[in-house]
Amino acid sequence: MVVLFLLPGVIGRPYYLHISIMALIYIIVVSSLRLIALSGQISVGHAAFMGIGAYFSGILSKDLGLSPWLTIPMGGLASMAAAVVMGYPFTRVRAIYFSMVSLFGGIMIVNLVRVAQRWTGAAGLAGIPPLSPIHIPGLITITFLGQKTPYYYFTLVLTLACLVVLYRLEHCRVGMTWKGVAQSYLVASSVGINEAGLRVLSFAVGCFFAGLAGAWYAHYNLVVTPATFGFLPSIFLVMYMLVGGRDRFAGPVVGAAILVMIPELFRSLKEFAPLILGAVMVLVVFLMPRGIAGLFDWTKGIERDAGRGKATEHAA
Amino acid sequence: MGIGLLGQVCVNALMLSSIYVLMALGFALLLSIMGVLNFAHSVIYMVGGYVCYQLAVVAGVSQWLSLLLATAIVGSFGLVLERACFRPFFGDPNRTMVMALALIVIMESVVNILVGSYVRSLPSFAPGVLRWQGVSISRERVVTFAIGAALMAVLMTLIRKTRLGQQMLAVSQEPVGAVLQGIDIFRVSAVATVIACALAAVAGSLMGAIINLNPFMGDQMLVKAIEVVIVAGIGSIGGVAVAGLILGTIDSFLPLLLSGSATDAVGLAIVILILLFRPQGLFGHAV
Amino acid sequence: MLLETSGLTKYFGGLAAVTALDLSVGQGEIVGLIGPNGAGKSTVFNLITGLIRPTSGKVFFGGQDITGKKPHVVAKMGIGRTFQTASLFPDFTVLENVVASFYLYPKSGFWEALFNVPSYRRKESSILGQARDILRLVGLDKLEDLPAKHLPHGHQKVLNVARALAVRPKLLLLDEPVAGMTHDEIVFSLGVFEKVRSQGVTIFLVEHNLEIMTLCDRLVVINFGEKIAEGTAHEVRQNEEVIHAYFGSEDAA
Repeated sequence: MVVLFLLPGVIGRPYYLHISIMALIYIIVVSSLRLIALSGQISVGHAAFMGIGAYFSGILSKDLGLSPWLTIPMGGLASMAAAVVMGYPFTRVRAIYFSMVSLFGGIMIVNLVRVAQRWTGAAGLAGIPPLSPIHIPGLITITFLGQKTPYYYFTLVLTLACLVVLYRLEHCRVGMTWKGVAQSYLVASSVGINEAGLRVLSFAVGCFFAGLAGAWYAHYNLVVTPATFGFLPSIFLVMYMLVGGRDRFAGPVVGAAILVMIPELFRSLKEFAPLILGAVMVLVVFLMPRGIAGLFDWTKGIERDAGRGKATEHAA
Repeated sequence: MGIGLLGQVCVNALMLSSIYVLMALGFALLLSIMGVLNFAHSVIYMVGGYVCYQLAVVAGVSQWLSLLLATAIVGSFGLVLERACFRPFFGDPNRTMVMALALIVIMESVVNILVGSYVRSLPSFAPGVLRWQGVSISRERVVTFAIGAALMAVLMTLIRKTRLGQQMLAVSQEPVGAVLQGIDIFRVSAVATVIACALAAVAGSLMGAIINLNPFMGDQMLVKAIEVVIVAGIGSIGGVAVAGLILGTIDSFLPLLLSGSATDAVGLAIVILILLFRPQGLFGHAV
Repeated sequence: MLLETSGLTKYFGGLAAVTALDLSVGQGEIVGLIGPNGAGKSTVFNLITGLIRPTSGKVFFGGQDITGKKPHVVAKMGIGRTFQTASLFPDFTVLENVVASFYLYPKSGFWEALFNVPSYRRKESSILGQARDILRLVGLDKLEDLPAKHLPHGHQKVLNVARALAVRPKLLLLDEPVAGMTHDEIVFSLGVFEKVRSQGVTIFLVEHNLEIMTLCDRLVVINFGEKIAEGTAHEVRQNEEVIHAYFGSEDAA
């Protein structure tokens, strides 16, 4: 923890700060994907919901002049609203069919974004305002334009805050209910759990965080393109989660951190980066079935799966 | 609307339906029979087209032979796919997914590296134009439709009449029971994967001739395949033909009435409607 | 009458699974639904609890029409049930299985839970206590930390009942609650059911086992989805149609 806070001082080089910021943002997104997975649903269109937050916040702040501090949470809410609208029909199907439908939904969202060029820009949305300066009279003024260090600290705080909330959700009754639904929707509904409604809830909450992170990204990168939120990125997100380990809370953190860093570090071999990424994933799949975080489970006695794979028992 | 235009749009609808069906059939086969969500399908489609291109344009092999060879090559790759991806992780959909995803990533980047991301075009399989009652119709599209329909018919016959086909149906409905009956699940899944890959390769090659080839052409086609499967219904193989026809027709006629971008929204609306009111699709079994 | 069905019918495609079934269960009774395999007993349960919609006919609970209501709504109205198979949260421990089933009473809100407010903590500790009480009732209290999937078969069945009790049911639907149990386990379960009944819960169960049938006040016999007999165990045992259904015609004997 202390290391994380001292990081900018130690590293200094903006490029590595950039990677760290991106890793942090993706930690939020992948952790939110895992939240949805707690209820037995693997969403393969998650990047699109990141995009909804990004575009919503970007457009609102750029065209209406609202402060990004305001529009970023609104981006999260917009994404959540979309998740509720799409979630209701999508959660009518389970397990792998849900994955299929979410894949479809994700690509559709990006298509629609591309089509709405009047608002979203021809090749992407540019000129997004950075985070507005914070001015505490008599103390300090923090400006974000052109500075990576303040971005890093605030991203760190955001990520920690989100992780705390996500962790809390998972370990309170709501999370327990989600895990129950994942294991057996029949049993869940027999004890009065509106399992369909709960699944929509987990989808909506997960997408809120994705939208939030996406909006934050928009005000960091200042430019967003549809490709960042399309088919392949959604697939990458699922991969980050599965490679990091779906069963433990730390899984997405590990997965996102490592797998975001790899392509960046191999930037020089630009075209080969995905190849190396793919190779790493193959290795992990064969050698570490429960993901990297799963390695820590060696020492435990009786294992506790978090509903991994169980959702398919009740597929059509 | 003049009869000429109407004729062309109709043929287009048939052609498009055909491609959709080819793509969706393979996808549906794997989904129903093996419970596998084969993301790699989009890549297979794309690679099929590129292999055909390499053979026909670069190596100078005859057009039709290239198609055959490409189908055979990609089909056999299906065996590799099944061995490496589906078989080791049978029953563990998460790891299967990661493997399939890893494969897409690797394949798309390999193609990217080898071929570069600019667009290529396959020469037409059946150049020229047919004239019928004063209407000129692209021969290419008619041929595409014919091939698609023929393959569909062959496949349905295979499933209904041969023992292997029956086994495939059995596995899709009741995998445990099928194993107990002595059906070699892995042989069935291998055959299904080969068929799926072959069909996708054909679709990719045909589409490459009608429109063009690019490393990301598979993505939108996968979306279409999913649309078809959702409309047809989970577990239905025959319904794919009907669903493909419906969607192909809609996608051909709609751009005349609305702007091209609205067709996407219509597709989304259809899927949402089906999920809301009939999640099992037109012909599928209950979810 | 606590539970009543009227003309309950279900067709799957062209196949009649349940036909014009009229049955009733009175408050405080233990009623058994018996019949040969494939007679449609589980289907009846699924129709009552809303897992399947009937083709026609109605279901009444406590005087209210619950036909076709969703399973979680039916549970909230006071019907708990166990399943023949898939009756647990396999990855949860024994204790967690019961705790998770305390979803309805007391009800915690989303924000309450998220912020861990005192009212939520009180509810959770009360739930923990109640869950342990139930586990003691069914004799699983020593095993509370064992993952449910590692339980031996008989214990799993008993855990099902424990789970169903968490919804404070007025009516308990038990689907083959002692199937596959040893004799001792069955005797123990009988004791549990008696204890449950003495706490005011009505029980409607499906079973093959003859010992369980002695527990029942009344039996309803169905075959091919139709009611063929009803009455006390003694009456039913002598009914010709019942004998025929179970043992075939006299020639085969």
